[in-house]
Amino acid sequence: MKPLQMRAFHRAVVVVLGLALAAAPALAQPKKGPAPAKGGGGKKAPAGDKKGGGDKKAPAGGDKKPAGGGGDEIEMGGDDKGGGAPVDPNEIDMSAPEDKPQADLQQDLAITPDVGVVKAGDIKRTPLSWKDILVVVRKPFLKSHRTELYPFLGTTMNDNMIRHYVAGGELAYYLTDVLAVGVEGLFYQDSFREPFDLVARQARRLPTVNKYNWSAALDFHYVPVYGKFAILDHRLVTWEVAFTAGIGAGQSEVIPRDTKLPGFTNLLIMPNAGANMRFFLTKWLTINAGIRDYIFYDKFEPTDRVVGGMNSTAEQAKSNADGALINNVMFQIGASFWLPTSFEYTTFR
Amino acid sequence: MTTKHTIIAALAGLLTIGIVGDAAAERRTNDLAKDVAVRHRRLLVKNRFEFAPLFESTINADFQHIIGGGAKLEYHLSDMLSIGGVGVGSIALKTKLVDRILPTLEATPDPATREPSRTEFEDRLNTMPVHGAVYASLTPWYGKLAAFSQAFVAFDFYFQAGVAFAQLKSNCPMSVCNDVTTDKPEPNGDLPDMNPNNDPPLNSGGRAGLYLGGGVHVFLNDFLALDLTIRDYAFTDNPSGADFDAKDQAVTTNDNRFVHHLFFGAGLSIMLPMKVKRTP
Repeated sequence: MKPLQMRAFHRAVVVVLGLALAAAPALAQPKKGPAPAKGGGGKKAPAGDKKGGGDKKAPAGGDKKPAGGGGDEIEMGGDDKGGGAPVDPNEIDMSAPEDKPQADLQQDLAITPDVGVVKAGDIKRTPLSWKDILVVVRKPFLKSHRTELYPFLGTTMNDNMIRHYVAGGELAYYLTDVLAVGVEGLFYQDSFREPFDLVARQARRLPTVNKYNWSAALDFHYVPVYGKFAILDHRLVTWEVAFTAGIGAGQSEVIPRDTKLPGFTNLLIMPNAGANMRFFLTKWLTINAGIRDYIFYDKFEPTDRVVGGMNSTAEQAKSNADGALINNVMFQIGASFWLPTSFEYTTFR
Repeated sequence: MTTKHTIIAALAGLLTIGIVGDAAAERRTNDLAKDVAVRHRRLLVKNRFEFAPLFESTINADFQHIIGGGAKLEYHLSDMLSIGGVGVGSIALKTKLVDRILPTLEATPDPATREPSRTEFEDRLNTMPVHGAVYASLTPWYGKLAAFSQAFVAFDFYFQAGVAFAQLKSNCPMSVCNDVTTDKPEPNGDLPDMNPNNDPPLNSGGRAGLYLGGGVHVFLNDFLALDLTIRDYAFTDNPSGADFDAKDQAVTTNDNRFVHHLFFGAGLSIMLPMKVKRTP
């Protein structure tokens, strides 16, 4: 009796293990959403009003589109034929025989084989490299026909006497994905740098400097460089480089060396050129940083100026002002907001 | 016994289901979530020496442009971490500011005025014949870019920190900078002359300080890269060699202060060995 009991135990263990192993693949199936209702989906729709498959209830006939449900949408379901449902006249039946001429054996045999096309011989094996694999991915951010609103802050980079801080903004419209036209406006705030005081204190000379009040420009942007980089080998960020050229106007103001004398302002023609890096964060937000060179011919306070004497008035000083070509190179950083806030691809992935 | 064995067998079965189920659940996770950002990537820097002849120039210098050539030698311990050093020999060119000030100064020293003469102003300015740094470098970003949809190149951004060193030099002859006692009483007992223009500039000699840098490699091929860097050599200096604090009317060591010397560097990096490896 005892051996029989052991056999019964072994049999039970084998049965349970068998069940367990049978259950394992079922557990290993990928998780699914709520089970769809039989014959379609969870959401009931009027017959002939919705397409089959997916979450929506399909009419009889499974994945076939019902009549009247035409359009350009791609049918993602299977191609099993169900009966009963009418067929969309615009739909292409892939199982239908092709409309091509009947094969003519005699004609085929009459064709002279071109022995030069295929040559028998040893198969030449060429080494494969990663350069043989081409991967083309869609650009993660589209700008065509979108508007960029770019508020930014900036500072002077190339003046060691006076530093200007700017608060500005640009509104640009992208005609294509790489070309844009925009307008910008900048307001300046100045502060003296260390050499301004040093020259006065050590060399006993008062530097002649102008400050800038505002500027505005019409800009054209071209985006020739785009790329992506990985941060700490984990997160991919896409970016691009845009070149800018523009023409505009601005105002500078003379800071009188002697505060008893009046200053004067100059209206400047200010072409500009620069480059800007743009980092894409979301579909509607980018971080920008770049350099812009504003080039203009500015007029400075004349050297000879005496209270109550030579060039004492603003008009006299302006008429005898010394001129110089100035490159005001500025670093600018800000965030761009894109309208519309989203975009759609026009090509398949 | 039969019942007991059946229960044990059932428990064993449930346990087995649990184990298999856990394993199955484990398999359901997406391995890509834990994967690196880029696979089969060319290891353009890992375990390679980088030798880069380079050109360097100051950015926005006050009195003297420092322009020179040198080399960078770096070993990349990993894909992100490297150690290295850079050394540059330089010449100095006067800035436009100096060119504008000099003609306006008096030709010979005049004790009646407090302004320096041309030689007193010019000879006190220091130069930087040699400078460099040893540093550790972190390369947290790497990527590739397309230019004009034609050129596809790899690049990386790096940041460096370390110790800077520099040799400073000023050539103020004794005929100009003859007040060696500066702010102290004269040897004959007279009070200090309160004239900083004839004091030695005290801006020569070796300096050590902080080095910070950041740049980009743009790889032309597997072993050549364009290396563009902004470097900041920060150490105590008094570039004008004049009285900076204006407290004692004399040039003293107190007039030296922590000054940032910003340089732009451009070099051609040669990666050794020339053959590049790939990640799995």
